[in-house]
Amino acid sequence: MSRQLDNVNPTIFAPTHASSSRQKSGKALLWDEHAEGYAEVDTDGGLGPEGSEGETDEREEIDSEEVFDLLRSITDPEHPVSLEQLRVVNPEDIHVSGNRVLVYLTPTIPHCSMSTLIGLSLRVRLMRALPPRFRVDIRIKSGTHQSEHAVNKQLNDKERVQAALENSHLLQVVEGCLASAGRRGAEGEGVAAAA
Amino acid sequence: MDVPRVVRTQVTTGELDPPQDLVNTMSGVNDSSVPLLDVVKALGEYLTSTEDDVRLKGLTFLTNLVKVISSNRINRQATVTLTRFYLSKLDDFDSLPPALSALIILSKLPTFDDDAAVEVYRAVVEQVNMKAYVQATRHLVYQLFDSFLALHRQALKNMGADFLNSYTKMVDGEKDPRNLMLLFSMDRVILLEFDVKDLIEDFFDITFCYFPISFKPPPNDPYGITAEDLKSALRKCMAASPYFAKLALPLFLEKYATAVGQSMKDLMLSMAACFPVYGGDAVRERGTELWDGIKTEIMYSSDKSVEAAALSALESLMRTLYPSEADAPVGLAQDIIKQCLDILDEPEKTQSLSATKALVALLNASPSTGKFAVSQALPQLFKQFNRPSLPSHRVPILWSISSLLIAASKVYAGETVTRSYAQERTFEHYREALMDTLREGLRTEGLKEAATRGCVALTEIPGFWGRDEVEEVVRGIDDALLNDDDSDVLSAVVTGLTGISKVHPTVIESVTLPLLFHALPEHAPGLYDTPSRDKYRSILRSLSELCVQPALFETLVIRITTKLDFLTSSTSVAEEQTTQEARECEVAYAWDLLHCLAGVIDKKVDDKHVDVVKHFDTIVPRLYALCISAAAPKLGGQEPLFRDRRLLTVVGRITERLVWELSADRQGKHFAAVFAAFAQGEMIGILPASVPKPPLTSSPLRLGAPSPEQDLIVLYSSVVQGLKADCQLPFPSYADWLAASVNWAINHARDSFHVRWAADMIAAFVNKRASGLAEPLPGMLETIWVTDVQDTSKEFETRRRALLVYLHITKALALVRDPLAYTSIERLVDVFKLAYFDPAFVNEAAKSLSVIAEGKGKAKERGSHLTAKLLWAQKVWGFALPRIIEGDQDAKGKDRLVYLAAFSALLPLVPASLLLADLQTILPLLLRSLALPAPEPRTNAITALHGVLETKNLSAEVDTLVHDRSTEMVESLIKSVFSENQESSGKVRAAALRCLATFPDAVRFEALQGLKSKVIKDLGKALDDPLRVVRRDAVECRAKWYRYGQPT
Repeated sequence: MSRQLDNVNPTIFAPTHASSSRQKSGKALLWDEHAEGYAEVDTDGGLGPEGSEGETDEREEIDSEEVFDLLRSITDPEHPVSLEQLRVVNPEDIHVSGNRVLVYLTPTIPHCSMSTLIGLSLRVRLMRALPPRFRVDIRIKSGTHQSEHAVNKQLNDKERVQAALENSHLLQVVEGCLASAGRRGAEGEGVAAAA
Repeated sequence: MDVPRVVRTQVTTGELDPPQDLVNTMSGVNDSSVPLLDVVKALGEYLTSTEDDVRLKGLTFLTNLVKVISSNRINRQATVTLTRFYLSKLDDFDSLPPALSALIILSKLPTFDDDAAVEVYRAVVEQVNMKAYVQATRHLVYQLFDSFLALHRQALKNMGADFLNSYTKMVDGEKDPRNLMLLFSMDRVILLEFDVKDLIEDFFDITFCYFPISFKPPPNDPYGITAEDLKSALRKCMAASPYFAKLALPLFLEKYATAVGQSMKDLMLSMAACFPVYGGDAVRERGTELWDGIKTEIMYSSDKSVEAAALSALESLMRTLYPSEADAPVGLAQDIIKQCLDILDEPEKTQSLSATKALVALLNASPSTGKFAVSQALPQLFKQFNRPSLPSHRVPILWSISSLLIAASKVYAGETVTRSYAQERTFEHYREALMDTLREGLRTEGLKEAATRGCVALTEIPGFWGRDEVEEVVRGIDDALLNDDDSDVLSAVVTGLTGISKVHPTVIESVTLPLLFHALPEHAPGLYDTPSRDKYRSILRSLSELCVQPALFETLVIRITTKLDFLTSSTSVAEEQTTQEARECEVAYAWDLLHCLAGVIDKKVDDKHVDVVKHFDTIVPRLYALCISAAAPKLGGQEPLFRDRRLLTVVGRITERLVWELSADRQGKHFAAVFAAFAQGEMIGILPASVPKPPLTSSPLRLGAPSPEQDLIVLYSSVVQGLKADCQLPFPSYADWLAASVNWAINHARDSFHVRWAADMIAAFVNKRASGLAEPLPGMLETIWVTDVQDTSKEFETRRRALLVYLHITKALALVRDPLAYTSIERLVDVFKLAYFDPAFVNEAAKSLSVIAEGKGKAKERGSHLTAKLLWAQKVWGFALPRIIEGDQDAKGKDRLVYLAAFSALLPLVPASLLLADLQTILPLLLRSLALPAPEPRTNAITALHGVLETKNLSAEVDTLVHDRSTEMVESLIKSVFSENQESSGKVRAAALRCLATFPDAVRFEALQGLKSKVIKDLGKALDDPLRVVRRDAVECRAKWYRYGQPT
């Protein structure tokens, strides 16, 4: 299995910070999570110590940040680093509107043969982690790959995806990439300071 | 005693341990009533028998006897005779182990002299062929040697080369780790104490042949010897004699080529240990070669621990070559620094980080190399910093500079330092350049973190910077603190300031704090002014880190209380235009201020700072004043700020924490004043001197007091909760006070907020003074139960409150395992039988068992100062559970639900391990509880189930049970959460998802194979949960189920 790697020495970026651009609303603006426990005291008329805890049935919609969170820690098939660290997926390149999700992925080099595999991993992850009502499109960011169209076609063809997943070897590789997906950006390798 | 008979029976039956009465101090050998000689005589025929088997038995019996009798029973003559006798057995293959065991015992006797030691040693060396024996026997030989080395060292020394030669031959070729541990410790003693110079090659052979050790302990090794033990023992041998140098250094160099990973680390650490012993002269010859190998590991090793080991080797090398300032750093040190600086020419490469670390090692190594390294490195780094070839290079360059400074601060400051900055004055020439660079760094985006670290390091070096310089950099850091919003920078900056505040507290107090407090807004920012709110929150966070320092805490207290005073007074001025929304913002701001103060107090109490108590009188009365004046009746206009219950709650929490820290004596005085205020309305005693006229003149607990006044129960309750058991109380009768409080809680409190605080107060009081109340309590509980709880003619609310109070008292008693608690619980469980007649109330009763399950309360929140005896929860559980189960079995139909509710309310009381014990009975109840209508009991049941599944090493019985019922469990969980028509909450859904996620780990795939696709399908629905946290758990859980049963 000593195949020449496509990109032997990719640039690894420091993980971005989960700086949330989400707009909080109403109560959340004033009271952070920690305060909530105290804030509840007076509204809670129940007898039990918990009473009716924090049942704010305010719906939090799935947004691009959440989708990015699902994808960021997937491992690259060639290197033991996450797609976030390679900047293969970027929060800006994910778009959510209504029931549609559009993800642009950026291969590290234009002739990357792994793009399809990475795309497949993204698709499987989203298939498993997003509600079925969503329609997911995964595309190569325009101008970043030699055979952009071929890859796009392959990634968004339901039957080809299905066929790929019936290949047990391929599925195993995908599972390998997804094994780290649950980390969601945690314990990313920081730039170790000297001393 | 018939010695011959005893001996005969023992030997012939093969019971070779001497019987107790033979050894016994009263009537046996130890008591001198049976002479040892008799036993030996009796053994005679066995000891001389021609049959090997019989002889061995006799010998073993004698040895076992020698082992157990007390040493003063063997006189000199006996010692000599026994030693001779055993020596004659050494050539007998089977007799060797017992003979050696006996000799070990004998060799430790005071009657065993040097000559005997030498004689025995020679005999063993001549007659024992080590290779022929198993590990245990060889171990005995080594133990015998060890005993000689410990007690007859001089005799062995006198043997000279004779001993050393034979010793090296005896131990040669040993491989067993247990023996090696012993050998290494002996080798070290010999190497250190004996004249080994001429025979050093032999010793080199028997020690370095093991290096590097690659040992992997077998699984479940009962001896517990780790590779690390062996390595460090061997390392001590290798570093025991300077004569090894000429043999060892070539060996080290040779190993560079072959060692990898752990053995490379071992090599580096061993070198670090050996260099100082081998001495500068020996090491200097091979210095360059040694550095080459070390350099490779520093620059290219991917393993951090190997890199660290290599750095310590470098440090040791440098220290050996240039131990003091008198040794000019010529030769190797120059080369090393040159090489490092060449690498630093390209600061963007990862190797530059390693080069910096190498320079740091030189700085650590000795005054000579340290000063030289700095004098070579800093000028180049400054040049690069000021004229970088690429702007981005400045980040790594500044990190290099700061790393040197940080290393220097560790070298010159700390508890165990040996070097002083005043002597070395390493950075003297670079004062200004350093200041310029750091100043620049503090101002520049991306450099702030490194610059802050550097500044802190310099402030820590004693005597380097004067106050002016410190002030200047602190100003620079403050600037970053206020104007940066990168969380990494902020946390580095706050840590930095905290570091500086330990050395220069006054600078922080006079420079940083005013700036921070000034930046806190006068009024709360508007609802949608998120940036300002984030700003002040970030400032408060910084303050709560900084002001833990005793020197700064006082300022925090004064500033925050002043801020709060101002907030309350200004809201009453601007009352016309304040809207509901603006008020909410003010409350949040005040809450954040108080919360910051509370956080600092918590941290100080946890760190056991003594100055907390000193500030009691500046904090508590002022907070009281705020709350009490807010509660005073007021006509029209806006409600005062401190009527808000959320604020009162934090004030309560601060009060409780602080009261608890007071001595019992001061507690008594304070409580007397508080009692006067709440019982008689004499507020003046608890208000600060600045409030001359109390805003309230009558007790807030009087009949018909308005709700805001009643809210002050928070203060009263907090003080009582903070009281210790031995504090003097200002009233004679505990019972009267308790009865009055109970009466207030049940009949006068206006709403459940008051009832809860009152109930907590009552619980704390009873908990601490259960013994003082032993007499009246049964009667009081009876009264509460009969007149208020049971009386169906009373209002439901009254009965509910009475029940709550009743249960709080019960909990207080259960915590100290007072028997009264159990009768109370029994009475409550009995009431469940009436479910049919009084369903609403009985359900309430079942649910409120959760009061007891709450126990001491969640840490830091209410009730945390309650006393709890060990195993109290287990006792309650053991008492209540059988009764609930029994009741459940007797009941029919819907009436059983009450028992389920009670069961699930109690569940949080005990840890999962306790549930495992009788899972057989509990599991059905758990599964049925999953179908209860309300979300809370279901959450409890799910959490308990989760705990059970997560417990590792289930017993076989439990394991079978879990597997048998797993399908049922999964199905009930899914039904409990995803069925449409049930009341649900985010909490219960998240708990269920987390619980479902444990199945793939806890249950073998075969058991749940059939359910996999259904579970995955159902989890698909959870992915669309309205709450983000729940979706997160759902994704996790579903990913786990996808992987379930797949080959890994």
